[in-house]
Amino acid sequence: MNLKMLCAGTALLLVLSISACGSSEDAPAGAKQVSFKLTDAGCEPHDTKAPAGPITFEIENAGTAKVTEMEIMDGETILGEKENLSDGLSGNFSLTLEKGEYTIYCPGGDDERGTLIVSGDLKAQNSPQIEKSIASYRTYLEQNTDKLVAKTAPFVAAVEAGDVAKAKSLYTAARIPYEKIEPVAESFGSLDPRIDARENDVPASEFEGFHRIEKALWEEGTAAGMAPVAKQLQADVEELAAKVKTVDLQAVQIANGANELLGEVSASKITGEEERYSHTDLVDFEANVEGAEAAFEAVKPLLDETDPELSGEIEADFKMVFAALEPYRQGNGFVSYTELTKADTRKLAQSIDTLAEKLSQVPAAIAQAEHQ
Amino acid sequence: MAPTTRRRFLASAGAGAAGLGLGAAGGFLVGQESADASANGTGSVAFYGTHQAGIDTPAQDRLHFAAFDLLTEDPAELQELLREWTLAAAEASAGEMVGDVNDVPLAPPDDTGETVGLLPSSLTVTFGFGPNLFEKPGLGLAGKRPAALKPLPPLPGDELDPAESGGDICVQACSDDPQVAFHAIRNLARIGRGTVAMRWSQLGFGRTATTSRSQDTPRNLMGMKDGTANIKAEDTEAMERFVWVGDEGPAWMRGGSYMVTRRIRMLLEVWDRASLQDQERTIGRHKYSGAPLGGSDEFEPLPLDEQHNGHPLIPVDSHVRLASAKENSGARILRRGYSFTDGVDESLGELEAGLFFICFQRDAAKQFVPIQERLGQIDALNEYIKHVGSALFAVPPGAKSGGYVGEGLF
Repeated sequence: MNLKMLCAGTALLLVLSISACGSSEDAPAGAKQVSFKLTDAGCEPHDTKAPAGPITFEIENAGTAKVTEMEIMDGETILGEKENLSDGLSGNFSLTLEKGEYTIYCPGGDDERGTLIVSGDLKAQNSPQIEKSIASYRTYLEQNTDKLVAKTAPFVAAVEAGDVAKAKSLYTAARIPYEKIEPVAESFGSLDPRIDARENDVPASEFEGFHRIEKALWEEGTAAGMAPVAKQLQADVEELAAKVKTVDLQAVQIANGANELLGEVSASKITGEEERYSHTDLVDFEANVEGAEAAFEAVKPLLDETDPELSGEIEADFKMVFAALEPYRQGNGFVSYTELTKADTRKLAQSIDTLAEKLSQVPAAIAQAEHQ
Repeated sequence: MAPTTRRRFLASAGAGAAGLGLGAAGGFLVGQESADASANGTGSVAFYGTHQAGIDTPAQDRLHFAAFDLLTEDPAELQELLREWTLAAAEASAGEMVGDVNDVPLAPPDDTGETVGLLPSSLTVTFGFGPNLFEKPGLGLAGKRPAALKPLPPLPGDELDPAESGGDICVQACSDDPQVAFHAIRNLARIGRGTVAMRWSQLGFGRTATTSRSQDTPRNLMGMKDGTANIKAEDTEAMERFVWVGDEGPAWMRGGSYMVTRRIRMLLEVWDRASLQDQERTIGRHKYSGAPLGGSDEFEPLPLDEQHNGHPLIPVDSHVRLASAKENSGARILRRGYSFTDGVDESLGELEAGLFFICFQRDAAKQFVPIQERLGQIDALNEYIKHVGSALFAVPPGAKSGGYVGEGLF
């Protein structure tokens, strides 16, 4: 098994760290240095502490033939190592570590295992550009949740007033801001299902939110009984808007969110499952793609540093997807999903797959930026 | 009439063609039998026995599954069908040609012929009865319906297509040779023509479960090892406890089992774009080793209570956690599913592929259903899959030689 694979396998344990997995020869800027000596006893110091973030391990063989390598392990998984350090040689490797207890493993020594205690917070390590990217996406996020609250209010009022026609006309305007930032909403547990569950996603007794009202308006042709559902929806979107103001954002997460939005398009918009009563799926489709584009634009400066070619291709592919959607535009929105032929949906699905395949490479590419 | 092995038929047919011409028809009966390979994968599995084969048989590599609608309400016709199917299935399982008339120049052969020269290839043929069979007044079976054969309730996340769900009678044909499995379904469908009509069918090209300790864990189309924690046939205590129907069932079902099938479409294009980290967190296992997250050995126990830096090591919405016996009041099922692909999804231009999930249990309402109720709601895997087909069948016990499968019903 190669080291890259091992490394990727453990990345999940360092969930929110930007450079979740890095073991490199070049010390990242601002990395904390920890020095070790290899001796017959093992490693010196036997135990040590370091702050969370990038750490460079400097290792020197101080005259032992018994111990020629040092590894940092998380449980039984090797995160980073330096091998073949015979007498007189020295070397180093770097890791970005989250808070926790790790093993310092020096095979061959009298006492092979020591403990590395990593404490503190990782967030302080972000570069100015990363902070800028996060701030830019945060602005987008908050604008959309504020808009969600503002656009849901008149929709809810129309439902409470029993005005079916008016409620129908206000439905998509409330949906759009939600669909743009959905992956963030999904990070708040039950909030997303309460706001956005489809009928078969949850037990019948828990079917509420937008799609319950959608069903009433379009399928049942009445808003009767929907006032409490609407009221709860308003409370839920307000809770969401309040929660996003304190959410911890990371650049890799933002890039992942862009992928998730395109996954949403593939899984439920192109298939017409999301808006199965109103058939306004293409409105959601566009909102998902716009949300993905905004997330991408926020992290694009980071990608431009490591892979400008990919960055350019993705920009072009976003244009291609929007162009593919253009023939179906009608008035302020789009034609009903029911008007699409299989050939139409196939073309749209292919455009998303093309873009998404490239977009899925972004998180790893920007994590790399951290080490430059 | 002595049974005709397919290998023997081939050897003698060749000899006949060389020297005896037309008059040699039937000469295969005395042809020299080839040494039957009984090595793993090519040998035969006994059809008759306490349990139907194809449940505790080590999962073969290939599947052809078919669900049929019964066209008659005459119980005698149904019995006749089951008798004929039992004989044909036993013949095919033994690597013999189906039927008696295979050498009359002016008659179409009983056996369709595509397995002539092929070995038995571990073929098993397993029959089951759907809930709807007991609803047909003419058959008079209403009183025989076991309490456990209630149609599955609507489950969260269902996107079921009725055309790929349900059925009155099912036939599961498993083999290590795809043509042998196909041949079994094709010949049974032919025998049943006029009495049953095929409602839907599914080919499976690779097993996704291990049902014996002698087998390695295969990978599903997500590239993940599947079936690591499955019930193994050698664990007879677990088989009795979770798979075989006991005294709680009607006499005609004791020693049988209940089979659930779910056609699970995987959104492979979306899955393939998920980072390795997301894929592993979704399942709760490492992709390459199959070990639980944080572990290094496939078979180490799931560390469900372990925390790592303030988070559960195995995420709360991961598939292995939600499907684990520990999180399901001890409930387990015997999984025996297959990967499938049926070409291109017409409306998406994407691979129409996934998992044809099959599981066996004593009572689906107490085993599969509660597990799926949780999975359907919060499993992180739901982002990448859709349940599009579903069925439940009562799989009666095995038949004795001279009897037929389902005989206890009448």
